Amino acid sequence: MSDALLDIRGLTAGYGDVPVLTDIALTVGAGEIVALVGSNGAGKTTLLRAVSRIIKASGSLRFLGEDVLPLTPEALFARGLVQVPEGRQLFGRMTVAENLMMGAYRRRDRAGIDASLAQTFDLFPVLAERRAQTAGSLSGGEQQMCAIGRALMAAPKLLMIDEMSLGLAPIVVDRLLDVLVAIRGQGVPILMVEQDVFAALAVADRGYVLEHGRIVKAATAETLKSDPALQKAYLGSDS
Amino acid sequence: MLLVQILVNGVLLGGLYGLMALGMALVWGVLNIVNLAHGAFIMLGGYLVFFLFTAGLDPLVSLPIAMAVLFLFGYVIQRSLLNLIVRSALLNTLLFTFGLDVVLTYLAQLLFSADFRTINPSYAGANFSVGAVTVPVGRLIAFAIAVALALLLYLLLERTRLGRAIRATAQNLDAARLYGVNPAQIYAITFGIGAALAGAAGTLYGIVAQITPYIGVTLTPKSFVIAIIGGLDNPLRIVAGGIVIGVAEAVTSLYLGPTYTDVVSFGLLVLILVLRPAQSLKIA
Repeated sequence: MSDALLDIRGLTAGYGDVPVLTDIALTVGAGEIVALVGSNGAGKTTLLRAVSRIIKASGSLRFLGEDVLPLTPEALFARGLVQVPEGRQLFGRMTVAENLMMGAYRRRDRAGIDASLAQTFDLFPVLAERRAQTAGSLSGGEQQMCAIGRALMAAPKLLMIDEMSLGLAPIVVDRLLDVLVAIRGQGVPILMVEQDVFAALAVADRGYVLEHGRIVKAATAETLKSDPALQKAYLGSDS
Repeated sequence: MLLVQILVNGVLLGGLYGLMALGMALVWGVLNIVNLAHGAFIMLGGYLVFFLFTAGLDPLVSLPIAMAVLFLFGYVIQRSLLNLIVRSALLNTLLFTFGLDVVLTYLAQLLFSADFRTINPSYAGANFSVGAVTVPVGRLIAFAIAVALALLLYLLLERTRLGRAIRATAQNLDAARLYGVNPAQIYAITFGIGAALAGAAGTLYGIVAQITPYIGVTLTPKSFVIAIIGGLDNPLRIVAGGIVIGVAEAVTSLYLGPTYTDVVSFGLLVLILVLRPAQSLKIA
């Protein structure tokens, strides 16, 4: 029995009878940022969907020590597994403040919600400035901040971020990566799913490389960053 | 002076029209269901308050009762039946609500007969004068309640946790679900609120006009037109849309004759769709 927050072993999942993922093993421990990287179609999003119990899966899936394989997505969310979905999925015609409050929809602790809001504005001062603007009027980077802020409002015990860097300028991605480190500093571990391998590995403690539905490499971020095969595959150079 | 009188009548009636459209627009905007039984819901509210009136209850006292009963009715229909097909093609919900409309209309005919009924409290026929203009008290009350309910709905949607969840569900179902909103529950509550507003509209309609089992036949399309003119997301704009139609009908019946009122209100709809399609169809 490991003391990992999220503990996946021998997980197989897919759509219908076609398994997309085979024999996945992955853990996220307290205070960790873990990167799940891989190219388009490797099965990254499928893995997130399996973990959040949207699609069928078999094997072992434990969250906070509990077998969560039989749970519904709602029940898993209630236990603190919170997702920042791909493409941000904001409520475009609602204000930034309202979007953030939707993250706290299931919470009733007034003081805790206020504290989370203060914390979120602390991490993203620009959201405080734009709190009365509609989310749809924000820039792409600000929208991603709003999406992460909304997830933080749910008081996550583990944050899963799907393709955070998609469509964002490198300088914006760098800022967001800094924020992820700050979020981990506040005690929230992160599982990030990324196509941008080296952006993810820049802040991650450990990484997993997914290819054709299998984990082909699992190592510390340092090791993966200097892995020649990975550099060749994702940077297209031999340097 | 006649024109001023006609305008006053049109505005007052238009407020009630707006209230009729409010429930339909809410349900349409959030659930993407065009409720063809909306007029029948209005009819049910009217009958309920009529019978309570004959039992001695003032319609303004029965109004909240009608709203509560219709809320429950709407909630149960959505929760038990409509939720099964809410995510399927629009045609399915159209068929379902059309069928519901037919059933309710002919049940009403069987149970209540086809007689014209009027809710006729002492103030319904009263009026007072402002200069040369006569203000009918019944219509004034209907107008005031319609505006008040539109304001209440606006506050509910904009200022409460429930309202936020309703708007979030309308704008991005997947994200709402991701953060713990239960769409089945939100849909049922929304449909219930839509029905409750129909119940209120039926009450007021019974005070200013006559109730028959068939009033839905004209009130459903009227609500539909106003919902499109007013847009689906702002209750106050919908009441404004109702007033536009009310005034247009009043002026039409003065200058062209009452037969042409529907021609003008649907003509107005076509005109608005042609001239400003983007603005009027900015749907959820």
